Amino acid sequence: MSENLREVLDLSLFWEYRTVLLKGLWMSLGVFAASAVLALAVGLGVALLRVGRNAWLRRYAVLHTEVARNAPDYIMIVWVHFVLPLLVGKLIGQRLEFNPFYSAVIALAFVYSGYFAETFRAGIEAIPRGHVEAGQALGMSPRRITWRLVLPQVVRRMLPESTNQFISMFKATSIVSLIAVPDLMYQVSMISSQEMRPLPLYTGAALVYFVIVFCAATALQAFSSRWRSKVYA
Amino acid sequence: MNNWQRMVWDQRELFLQGFVVTLQVCAVAFVCALLGGLLLALVRMKLPPLRPLAVILIEFFRATPVLVQLLWVNYVWPELIGWPNSFFTAACVALALQSSGYLAETFRGALEAIPRGQFEAAGSLGISRTRAFLRIALPQMLLDAAPSIGNQFTVIVKSSALVSVIAVPDLMFESQKLVNRWYEPIEILTATAAIYIGFIFLMSWALARVAGALRRRFGLGAN
Repeated sequence: MSENLREVLDLSLFWEYRTVLLKGLWMSLGVFAASAVLALAVGLGVALLRVGRNAWLRRYAVLHTEVARNAPDYIMIVWVHFVLPLLVGKLIGQRLEFNPFYSAVIALAFVYSGYFAETFRAGIEAIPRGHVEAGQALGMSPRRITWRLVLPQVVRRMLPESTNQFISMFKATSIVSLIAVPDLMYQVSMISSQEMRPLPLYTGAALVYFVIVFCAATALQAFSSRWRSKVYA
Repeated sequence: MNNWQRMVWDQRELFLQGFVVTLQVCAVAFVCALLGGLLLALVRMKLPPLRPLAVILIEFFRATPVLVQLLWVNYVWPELIGWPNSFFTAACVALALQSSGYLAETFRGALEAIPRGQFEAAGSLGISRTRAFLRIALPQMLLDAAPSIGNQFTVIVKSSALVSVIAVPDLMFESQKLVNRWYEPIEILTATAAIYIGFIFLMSWALARVAGALRRRFGLGAN
């Protein structure tokens, strides 16, 4: 028992493999950054379609949001990695295979675009009608109203509040190790099967994720409450 | 269309079998998460000496990814404390951890929202503290937390696809077995994804309605 406990807390393996692990962590952050940017862009687009005038695009936006929000991350990643290339390949009549990194980014961005779309929509609907009417009265075009009047307010209001979504997105990046994206968790699993010492490695991995997520969440919360009070002072 | 018939419809018993395992894992994990969340919240609020431990556990459960927890519980716990001794148990425990952390915070908020006067009234009527908690506080806490309890159940179902990684024969595991048999992923994986998405959609819709109805029935605003 006490020997096992010492083994769990023996993090020397982590130090030994620090270069590989750091590379893995870098990859995790890369997957996170790429899918976060893509998810925000797609989410914004879908939210704009949802409040737009075209009925078919509105229906598509509802479908997109519901599918994305109800899809498990892992299922989506596997589907995008193994099915989507075949479907696209059939369409263009050519064999196709996705790099695991792109599959991971596409899948995560799709799933989280649903959450961001809802966040953006709530933000858009929270803008007082009078702002839009004032814009119209001044002769601004609808597009100009959206980009110059509505969206700046939405972004300012919603970005601090999507902290939780960014946090769960970063946590979800650990899943991409399962389709062999060489992220932190993938490196840990590799080292673990090489050294046959899962105890310190998985405990260490859990601690690394804990430290990153906990610090990021605390910092983002402090930052967002400061930002809010500045914007709405 | 032929493929759909051969690889999905004709294999429906296998899909169903996996789906039942998924439901079992989720149900056990959900009950564990509720009890664990309640326990953590109570320890945090009522047992000052153990409070730091509860806070650390809650933050740790909330801030680590489910996959990491799953592998951690599955590989580290048996060596460390000799339990869990099966993949199924490990899967249930791991899925429960994260939700118990979130639910603990929800329960804490709900308990803090109950006016002190109610406990004082109970005390002056000679109702014991345990009884006051069980009969007065707990029902209100559960009602107040109903929407997030339902939400956590859908979170558990979503994460449950990961338990196939430690060889629990759930829906995802069975469908990957089928994929490996024929190397024809299109129909099988699409059907699996559709089952998950459809089930989670219905689940979250139904749970939100139940939570809303309960809250309205007992005089809280639907949320």
